[in-house]
Amino acid sequence: MSEYILKAKNITKTFKGDKALDNVSMSIKKGDIYGFIGQNGAGKSTMLRIITGLSFPTNGQLELFGSIKESNIVEAQKRMGAIIENPGLFPNMSAYDNLEVHRLQKGIPGRSCIDRTLKLVGLQDTAKKKVKHFSLGMKQRLGLAVALLSDPEFLILDEPTNGLDPMGIVELRQLLKKLNREKGITVLISSHILSELHQLATNYGIIHKGKMLEELSAKELDEKCRQHLQIKVDQSTKGAIIIEEILGTTDFEVMQDGKIKLYDYLDDVRTVSQTLTENGLIIEHLSQNGDNLESYFSKLIGGVAND
Amino acid sequence: MINLIRAEIFKLTSNKTFWVLTISIVVLSSLLHFLVITNWWMMTGTPFELIGLSKWNGLSPFITPLFFNVIISTLAAFYISTEFSKSGVMKNQVMTGHKRSHIFIAKYLIYSIGSIITTILIPLLTAMIMVFLLENGEIFNQENISYIARAFSLFSLHFVCFTAIVFIITILTEDSGKTILFTLLVAILMFIVEKFITSDVVKQLYEYTFFHQFTNVFNPFISSGDIVKSLVIGAVSLIMIISFGIIAFNRKEIK
Repeated sequence: MSEYILKAKNITKTFKGDKALDNVSMSIKKGDIYGFIGQNGAGKSTMLRIITGLSFPTNGQLELFGSIKESNIVEAQKRMGAIIENPGLFPNMSAYDNLEVHRLQKGIPGRSCIDRTLKLVGLQDTAKKKVKHFSLGMKQRLGLAVALLSDPEFLILDEPTNGLDPMGIVELRQLLKKLNREKGITVLISSHILSELHQLATNYGIIHKGKMLEELSAKELDEKCRQHLQIKVDQSTKGAIIIEEILGTTDFEVMQDGKIKLYDYLDDVRTVSQTLTENGLIIEHLSQNGDNLESYFSKLIGGVAND
Repeated sequence: MINLIRAEIFKLTSNKTFWVLTISIVVLSSLLHFLVITNWWMMTGTPFELIGLSKWNGLSPFITPLFFNVIISTLAAFYISTEFSKSGVMKNQVMTGHKRSHIFIAKYLIYSIGSIITTILIPLLTAMIMVFLLENGEIFNQENISYIARAFSLFSLHFVCFTAIVFIITILTEDSGKTILFTLLVAILMFIVEKFITSDVVKQLYEYTFFHQFTNVFNPFISSGDIVKSLVIGAVSLIMIISFGIIAFNRKEIK
């Protein structure tokens, strides 16, 4: 069996000549929590709608659970749960009846799954309340319950924190981590609250104006965002030797443009500068740098960086 | 598919509009039959009158497209349209991993059954009950029962062709108001073609549509050949309309 739950190759979607998605490729491995990042209108929801079968690509190929054929993809969608844009709920039905409709559609035997899922999302006390009387956060929780009802292997959540209060956001994060850890559910989550994704995702896909700019793992992102001293000296090779031999650290790297990223001595910038100067180097630039997800994202899409 | 049908039955029986329509039709139909049977309301020129079933004249409005259209378009608007519009529940259904053609057929099937219950069964049952209560059921002889069974069976076939059109309009417009409006326009258009168009070609073409069959099937003196023709027109129309609906739904982007 393929280790990939989802592989999208060169997905393009045009609306009246405008490209909403332009050759987007993404791949999600089993067990990943994939954070899908992009500004409003970047194409996140369009991509998620294509994956869930609500919309069709103009070009490109989608592979879901190893299936490429359209009819097999539809079958594979039975193994998914999703909330796209807003949770689709019957306002005149109770939370329980909304889940009953979904249970019948999915052919899940027995009603015990309804109580269990309501408890999981914290709505067990409002099961009989009509959805039209729910707050936005409660609707979001019920939408999550609908997505989780059939114990999906792949969960797709489009901006699931919309309308949730801070406690709700924390609870959702914990729930997703628990589902991922204990049940091995693969999660694809899009959100504009990047700090939220940073605490959750194992992989990221960054989309901007319909184009996938970068796919990277959390480890790779941490590496890129790691705090460091950025040093520019007149002789970078000599600078590297001095750092290694005199300062006694190998935790640095020399970039292609000659700048040195030193991950050590963050609290002792003075020693670094003094050592380099005393050994005859001219320091052209010395600063402490490091990104968080927001500033990294901002830099990548060409916006204003934080540092 | 059976799961989808069960879900649709649950949704229909939980739908407030369906129950409001059902109760309204029970009351309206009972009142209408009472007024006709007790001669408070005299109707003439109905197909039932031709074979001495004038006590059933209360059924006449329910076999008139302009009237029954109001019932079935209201049901479509508040049972089907709402799933596409603001609630967005259609997304959940499409994402369940069922073939879209199955979703279409399950919805259409249950919607048509709901329409048949409110528009055909309830008026027919209330007519039977009222005739039994007020006329001792003397008109229930074999000949009359045979006429009613044949006419309403054929009528039901053509009726489900019309519900298929209403269903497709609902899917395409995704809006309750537009569904009622466009369905009404279709019914008015067909009424105009039937009553006011004098062109022979158009009239001949119209005779091959199920709209014409709505009146034709109640002809007490219909020949066997015409019954077969009616069956063929109904079956072919139904297959064509449903095929078109499935193709349209398969290509539809769900918002």
